[in-house]
Amino acid sequence: MTTHSRFPRLSVGARALGAATVFALTLSGAVHAQAKETLSFASATFAEAGRGDKLKLWVEKFNKSQSAIEVQPLAMPFSTLAKTVFTQMGGGAGPDLVRFDLIDYYAAAQAQRILPLDADIKFSDYTLTEPNKYLVIDNKRYGVPFEISNYQLIYNPQLLKGGKPPANFDEFLAAAKAATGDQVFGFAYRATMAESNGFWQDLCNFVYGFGGRWSDDAGKLTINSPKVVEGVIAYKQMYDAGATPKGADAATYRRMFWEKKLAMEIDNGGVAGIFSQQAPDLPLQAAPSPFPTRAQGLILAPLVINSNTKHKEAAVTFVKWMMQPENQKDLQSILGAANVATVVERSPEELKARPWMKVYDDQSPNSVPQLVKGFEARTPEIQQVILEQVLRVLQGGAEPQKAMDQAQRLVSTRVLRK
Amino acid sequence: MAANKPGKTAQGAAGRVGWAPYLFCAPVMLYLLVFQAYPLLQELYLSFTQTSLLSPGQHDWVGLRNYADLFEQEEFSQVLIVTLVYTVACVVCAIGIGLGTALLLNMPFRGRGIARSLITIPWAAPPVAVALIFIWMFNGQYGVLQHLMNFLGLSAGMEGWLDNPSRALPAILVTTVWQIFPFTSVVILSALQGVSTDLREAAVIDGADRLSVFGAVVWPAIKPTVMLLTLFITIWSLRRFDLIWLMTQGGPIGSTNTLVIELYRRAFTYRELGEAAAVGMVGLSLALAITVVYFRLTLRAERAAGH
Amino acid sequence: MKTTTLDWRQAILMIVILGMLGITAFPIYWMLVTSTTASTDLFASPPHLLPGLSQWHVFREVFNTTDVGRWLLNSAIVAVGTTVLSLLLAVLPAYALSRFRFAGIAIVGLALFVTQMLPEAMLVVPLYAIFGQLSLLNTLTGLILVNTAFTVPVITWILKGAIDGVPVDIEEAACMDGCSRIGTVFIVVIPLIAPTLAATAVIAFFHGWNEYVFAQTLVSAPELHTASVGLAGFVGELSTPLHSVMAIGLMYTLPAVFFYLLVQRYVVAGMTAGSVKG
Repeated sequence: MTTHSRFPRLSVGARALGAATVFALTLSGAVHAQAKETLSFASATFAEAGRGDKLKLWVEKFNKSQSAIEVQPLAMPFSTLAKTVFTQMGGGAGPDLVRFDLIDYYAAAQAQRILPLDADIKFSDYTLTEPNKYLVIDNKRYGVPFEISNYQLIYNPQLLKGGKPPANFDEFLAAAKAATGDQVFGFAYRATMAESNGFWQDLCNFVYGFGGRWSDDAGKLTINSPKVVEGVIAYKQMYDAGATPKGADAATYRRMFWEKKLAMEIDNGGVAGIFSQQAPDLPLQAAPSPFPTRAQGLILAPLVINSNTKHKEAAVTFVKWMMQPENQKDLQSILGAANVATVVERSPEELKARPWMKVYDDQSPNSVPQLVKGFEARTPEIQQVILEQVLRVLQGGAEPQKAMDQAQRLVSTRVLRK
Repeated sequence: MAANKPGKTAQGAAGRVGWAPYLFCAPVMLYLLVFQAYPLLQELYLSFTQTSLLSPGQHDWVGLRNYADLFEQEEFSQVLIVTLVYTVACVVCAIGIGLGTALLLNMPFRGRGIARSLITIPWAAPPVAVALIFIWMFNGQYGVLQHLMNFLGLSAGMEGWLDNPSRALPAILVTTVWQIFPFTSVVILSALQGVSTDLREAAVIDGADRLSVFGAVVWPAIKPTVMLLTLFITIWSLRRFDLIWLMTQGGPIGSTNTLVIELYRRAFTYRELGEAAAVGMVGLSLALAITVVYFRLTLRAERAAGH
Repeated sequence: MKTTTLDWRQAILMIVILGMLGITAFPIYWMLVTSTTASTDLFASPPHLLPGLSQWHVFREVFNTTDVGRWLLNSAIVAVGTTVLSLLLAVLPAYALSRFRFAGIAIVGLALFVTQMLPEAMLVVPLYAIFGQLSLLNTLTGLILVNTAFTVPVITWILKGAIDGVPVDIEEAACMDGCSRIGTVFIVVIPLIAPTLAATAVIAFFHGWNEYVFAQTLVSAPELHTASVGLAGFVGELSTPLHSVMAIGLMYTLPAVFFYLLVQRYVVAGMTAGSVKG
């Protein structure tokens, strides 16, 4: 009885499988055998309509200027970029360059998954924008800001009664209610766990706007402090006002805005940029967010180098290229109403054509990262606890102060194990 | 389950078996060892450690702390309850509707063949695509379901579905059952077709009405199939991930937070692999327990029926 | 001659059946409607209920602006690979479980069953490390291998049931010149369980086509993304129009559905041959 003889079916299958494996391995080998050093650069922006293609061209400019290095843009969906890249980093691989969100930056730096850049880049040579300071951890910089975007109120004056933006929170509620009706909504924001990161950003805007912070400078949690609770109450008041499309996700309500079905939203400059590109005849305007203080959240997306990279010098070359004034200028105009690592003046024509950019630029000194200071790397867990308690307030009828007390307690005991 | 009728095995002359069965099973067993057993053992080990996703090679041994923490947290009991409710509801609805559909499709009518083919469409649809279209259909302002409810005058304002704590789980259940009832109906239908027509006619001749015929003849014949199906649907429900994660990520307020969702969140959002592994082990134990109970029950039943 | 009572019953039956068919087909139909609705009309009230016949260009646009063609190709490669590998691996153990009584049969059976309980999300992190060591990361081959690990148990069980239904005498009769055991399996038994093979091929194909978690984590190169990953990437994306997403969803769903409709009669027959009788 022969058990090892080859059978037609088995060998065809095995051959096919073998061929596929060999092909895959050869392909990966071929990449390394090329004369040019290739690096991968992962960012969710490459997948965006409009900005994505322009950004790819911007990277191409670098490639053309280099004879030995090629950077390949890797588009990854926003919702899963951090998860995927972290898993890969943990496994000893991952893209060479990554555009992270600030929250991921802290985690990656703490785990030594990204390289400190101070030895390779002389930061004092550049005029850095203010938010650069948020990237300094223990006197080291592990990344350079790729995109800095502030939050302000974006509105469509045609849909607002009186055509003027609200100046304080009461006016805000009134304006939102007044604008709602006949298939138009006054305001939109996120309040679902399915979009927990966006929900967190929107909540931070309200809380910061009322002067609240999640922790103080002494490193103590202040989740149940009076100003934070005020911010939560404001969030609930808007929720109950009946002026928002409940449950709509950001992709949907941003589309609604540009289809003129939404009067106001508080969003970042990048989004405003997309609106003006996708719907040029939309009467888009911006104003400071209608809260007691001007503090709002900040999107700070740093460009980092993976510590697993085998092309460290090439990656540093790219980062340095990015920081050159000309390339910074190009990058800033691609990103829209965002700022970059170094200070770049906007041209008067740009400001005339898009006056809302100035509103965003002026916000920079007031922007605060959407992290829990002192516990940055634990923000995802803290965020989950706080958001769940806020949801209980919004939908479960919980009392805001009690809910925040509960959040404070849960974070201290469960997350921080104190 | 297949009946191993005596004499049906191919052993023939005793001892002719030799190494054949082991060699036949070896490739698969090896395969499963590498791709399932080894990762599972890794997970078991991880559950006793604190390990970060970013540094999966560094394990800090913490013993039973992860498990102790889980059972101390009030939220975890909610996870268990949601998992149980979801699983039981899936099984009851999928089998119930599947049974009803199978009975219907077993009746004579024109176009029966086409109906039988078309009814299975949901099973063929990819869960990712299903999640997306149902998210849109459940949209609180523009979803077709909301429009329908407005039309029927059933909605008092816009309550929403997937963002509403009391309606999110029913919405997910509707989506899940839509996807799986074709599978159960097809399997039950085949079992129905195996019911001996003679027995059925005999019962009818004896004057039994439809219901009694069902109870006395049909049900006993399809019962083994239905029981096995119940087991599979239960185990698959404990595993179901794509639909729930894409539609609600376990929210709102944990109302759709099953064990698998909690596992995934702990691993990839909190980056705590040890805690995630502990959650996974709890889920696995649950599935194993259910299986053991199932096999005990069926063995007992078979013995009672004299098999 | 039909009595009026029978007609009335038939009518109700038809209505119920049509209702059920409507419910099962509606979401797919809705995907079609949404993909052919112009962007502005998506928020219209009352909603458009019929596909916009002038909007077919959305499918062409989607091909040009996204990588959906490549995604579908990748999904097809993974699906076909999973099917072929699963069937090859499952045939022999299925035969062994059916025909032989041997020590360890319980262990094999149990192992096959236990693996049904393991969620992908639980195994993906250790598997990521293993794949790293085997250089299988970022390859479709890797996906094929891991998907097969999840389909082989079910397929083995089903094939075992089918082989149970094949009388031993046939084997002995057809191979009186003393074929090898494996020869018997492939030359005699396989053709007899062809319908079941078709059924299990469908199961394996669907698993490979639909799989999401591993395709997401173990493969990151965009040119290797499968359609499940590509489509899921649109959830929460800022500016992708809903009708494009639905168009892609439809292109992802229809091949599976059509494939299924072609082979479904074998699936029904094959899934239950021998395995669930008695």
